[in-house]
Amino acid sequence: MIIRLIQFQDRENQMNPMEKSKWPPGDLVIWIFIMAELLVFGIFFAAYAFTRANHVELFNTYQATLDRNSALLNTLALITSSYFVVRAVAAIKIDDNKRCFQWLLAALFMGVVFLVIKSIEYQHHFSQGINLSTNTFYMFYLSLTFFHFLHVVLGMVILIAVALKARAGGYCAQEHTGVETGASYWHMVDLVWIVLFPLVYVMK
Amino acid sequence: MNTMTENKYFFRPCTWIFLLLVGLTVVTWFIGMKQFSGLQISLMVLGIALLKGQLIGDYFMGLRRVSGFWRWAVAIWLLLIGSLISYAFNISA
Repeated sequence: MIIRLIQFQDRENQMNPMEKSKWPPGDLVIWIFIMAELLVFGIFFAAYAFTRANHVELFNTYQATLDRNSALLNTLALITSSYFVVRAVAAIKIDDNKRCFQWLLAALFMGVVFLVIKSIEYQHHFSQGINLSTNTFYMFYLSLTFFHFLHVVLGMVILIAVALKARAGGYCAQEHTGVETGASYWHMVDLVWIVLFPLVYVMK
Repeated sequence: MNTMTENKYFFRPCTWIFLLLVGLTVVTWFIGMKQFSGLQISLMVLGIALLKGQLIGDYFMGLRRVSGFWRWAVAIWLLLIGSLISYAFNISA
C-alpha cells in the first residue's frame, strides 16, 4: 500500500508547482520517519517540562551554568544551514546541479560548525566532571542534546549523499525527489533545535 | 541563464523568513542573557519558538503548498508540545 501511495505521490509531484499538492516535498517515507522522530522528541520535551515542574529550583540553578552564547551560535548555524538547503532545492528546480551542490556544501559547513561548537560545550562539561548521573537537569540536558547531536550527524550523512549525486548531475528540474527528501529531514533537525534551545537554555 | 534566474530572486520569500528567524532567535537569546524569568516570559519565549517552527514548516519544508493532513502535520506537533510544555510550566509557577 505504501508503494502505491508513493507512486501516486510521484505523479502528483509532476504537476504545476504553483498548485497545492496532497503530498509533502520528497519521499513520503521520509515524512513518516520525520513524524516518528518528532513524536519521540515531543515525548522527550514533555518529560523534561513535567520533571522540571517537580524540581524547579534545581533546573533553574543548573540551567544558569549553560553557555547561552554557544546556544545562540548553534541556533544561527542550523537556521543558516536550513536556509542554504532551501536555496539548494530552488537551484535544482531550475536544473542547476552545480549551484545545488554548492548550496549543499555551504549547508554542510554550517552543520560542521554546529557539531564543533556543541563538542566544545560537551568537552567543557566533561572536564568539570559533569555526566548523566550528576543530577536530573544534566541527565536531561546531556541526553536531549546528544540525541539531537546524533540526528545532526545523520542529517549530514544524508546531505553528503545528496550533494555527491548533485555533483554528478544526478538530479534535474523534473526529478529531484532525492534533494527534497534530504532537505525535509534536515529541516526537521532544525525544527527540533528551535524548540530545544528555548526550552533547555532560556525558559525558567 | 540559470545564475541570472537565481540572482533575480535573491530576496525571495525564504530569505526574508531566514532574516525573521535570525531576529526572533536573537530576541530569545537576549531574554535568556538578561535572566528574565516567570511564567509569562517563559510562555512568550515558547510562543516565539512555536512561531519559528511554523515558519520553518511553511516556508522551509514547503508545507504551505500542501493540502490535507500534511499541511498541518508540523502545526499539530507544535500545538501539542506547546500545550504540554505550557501546562507543565503553569503547574510549577
